[in-house]
Amino acid sequence: MTAPAQPQQHPSEDDPRIMLDGQVGQYEQVPPYPPRTEREAEFYTLGDGEMFLNMGPQHPSTHGVLRVVLKISGEKVVDLDPVLGYLHRGVEKLCENSDYHHIISQIDPLEYVSSLFMEWAPVMAFEKLLDVQVPRRAEYIRVLTGEMLRIASHALFQGWMALDLGGLTPILYSFIERDEIVEALAALTGQRMLFNYFRIGGVNGDLNHEFMSRVGDWMSRALVQHEANIGLLNENEIFVRRMRGIGKVDRDMALRMGVTGPNIRAAGVPFDVRRAHPYSVYPELEFNVPVRGTKDGGDSLDRYLLRLDEVRESIRIIDQCLHEMPDGPVMARMPRLMRPRPGRAWAAVESPRGLFGTYVISDGTDQPFRFRVHDPSFVHLQLVGMLMKDNLIADTMAVMASLDPVMGGIDK
Amino acid sequence: MDRTLKTRLEAKLADRLTGPVRQRQDQTEIRVRPADLIEVLRTLHDDPQLEFTILADVCGVDTGDTLQTVYHLWSDETPDWLRIVVDGLPREDPRVPSITSLWPGAEWSEREAYDMFGIVFEGNRDLRRIYMPPDYTSYPLRKDFHLPDDSARGPGGGVRHIEQPYAPVAGTEHSIRRTVKA
Repeated sequence: MTAPAQPQQHPSEDDPRIMLDGQVGQYEQVPPYPPRTEREAEFYTLGDGEMFLNMGPQHPSTHGVLRVVLKISGEKVVDLDPVLGYLHRGVEKLCENSDYHHIISQIDPLEYVSSLFMEWAPVMAFEKLLDVQVPRRAEYIRVLTGEMLRIASHALFQGWMALDLGGLTPILYSFIERDEIVEALAALTGQRMLFNYFRIGGVNGDLNHEFMSRVGDWMSRALVQHEANIGLLNENEIFVRRMRGIGKVDRDMALRMGVTGPNIRAAGVPFDVRRAHPYSVYPELEFNVPVRGTKDGGDSLDRYLLRLDEVRESIRIIDQCLHEMPDGPVMARMPRLMRPRPGRAWAAVESPRGLFGTYVISDGTDQPFRFRVHDPSFVHLQLVGMLMKDNLIADTMAVMASLDPVMGGIDK
Repeated sequence: MDRTLKTRLEAKLADRLTGPVRQRQDQTEIRVRPADLIEVLRTLHDDPQLEFTILADVCGVDTGDTLQTVYHLWSDETPDWLRIVVDGLPREDPRVPSITSLWPGAEWSEREAYDMFGIVFEGNRDLRRIYMPPDYTSYPLRKDFHLPDDSARGPGGGVRHIEQPYAPVAGTEHSIRRTVKA
């Protein structure tokens, strides 16, 4: 008598074909499955009068595709558990299997509202590996375009912030501001969002006439337009009362939680990579690092106001760049095929959201052996759980929006 | 390159360093054993001459033979980035102490390294997968996790198996084994 036929063994349990073997359901466990960690056990145990509420993954105020499991008691949030991975595309693995030039376009869509900064950090890391000296004009162009995009990103933040609290008007106006910047950059790079403009050793093309006329046009009224946008919200009593006092981050907590960027400066720590570890031509430029928050830390309103302060500083930087732009080439002489010597390099830039860093290990081939991306939004999203304890459900969006996360970067 | 940082590190950490302090461009690198990690980081954070207050990054690395965890720190006392490498973690059972007692913000980064490399951070109270689904079993960023078209890089390769919807963990006979001395 023969033994019953065994089902064919597949090489990996991750093989989606396994689902065809009538095992559908086995792989679709959702909580409550047996808890895997101490924290999960604690979170998925309901107390008296508590219930779970799923916010997302399609919720409009999660800035992408994020699911947050809220544990609520009445209108109060007791605890929450963000579930990531809906936008995960394995960008680190992709980059480890692409050559050095190709990575620039792979990494662009991480933080899609400020993608030049996503190009800047890896390009700087590769330049360190290759010992390349970037022409000064290229560095000035990088700073100029980068700061323009920072303003565009902060403008969008201002609109989002209001939208998440239920105000529709500001986003219409902040999109005017953003659109002018993005159109100017499109005249320079050919793209509105994913610019793919920085190159290892410089930038893709020199400034052209249309870009310069658009920038000149926009700069002539940038400050006025910015002040007008501020007037829409800052005087609004509903907005201010709603934001004041929620989501307080103090100095010590910000440092221990690894917070960077505007969020740590709003908690009273003057940490800005542009000044803390200067790169590019930032040491030559004059600008202040705005800091807000009292000794008890900063709340959501502080984080909102700080970004508005930063816009003014960015306009100052752009003004200096335009006046002091040197002549010369925009690309160093580079080989087509890059094979850096084996070594390691870390480079970090100040993106509109904070410290964006890359760590690259080269093994001497044309592809990096290890390519690590550190995204600030990923770290900041951890704060939401701590900040939301014993707050109202409706404030979750306000607090989350004030941290300004972008899910593309968080999920990588 | 900050030469004084090198002497400071050698004086403070002394026998806890497993190799020489390496410096290149704006980065200083030290290597420590997993057992010493917490003590080293505490010294770096608390010592008034070092004061590395900002944790810039936590990540895992697969060198092809063994695993590493890498930490990047920033301090106001030096113009350099400091990189701490914990190396020589065995592939079968990589274990390293969690630094969430010092920087609670490292929790998710450690979860990510666990998800991608299978490195177990002892003391992290929420060590579950963060990107991949909970029933996932392999570690995608390890070097023995080959992409479907990796065989194109080998001799006789060149065909992208687009119709193959999964990533074979074992690799094919043509896949190249990459290692690095990192």
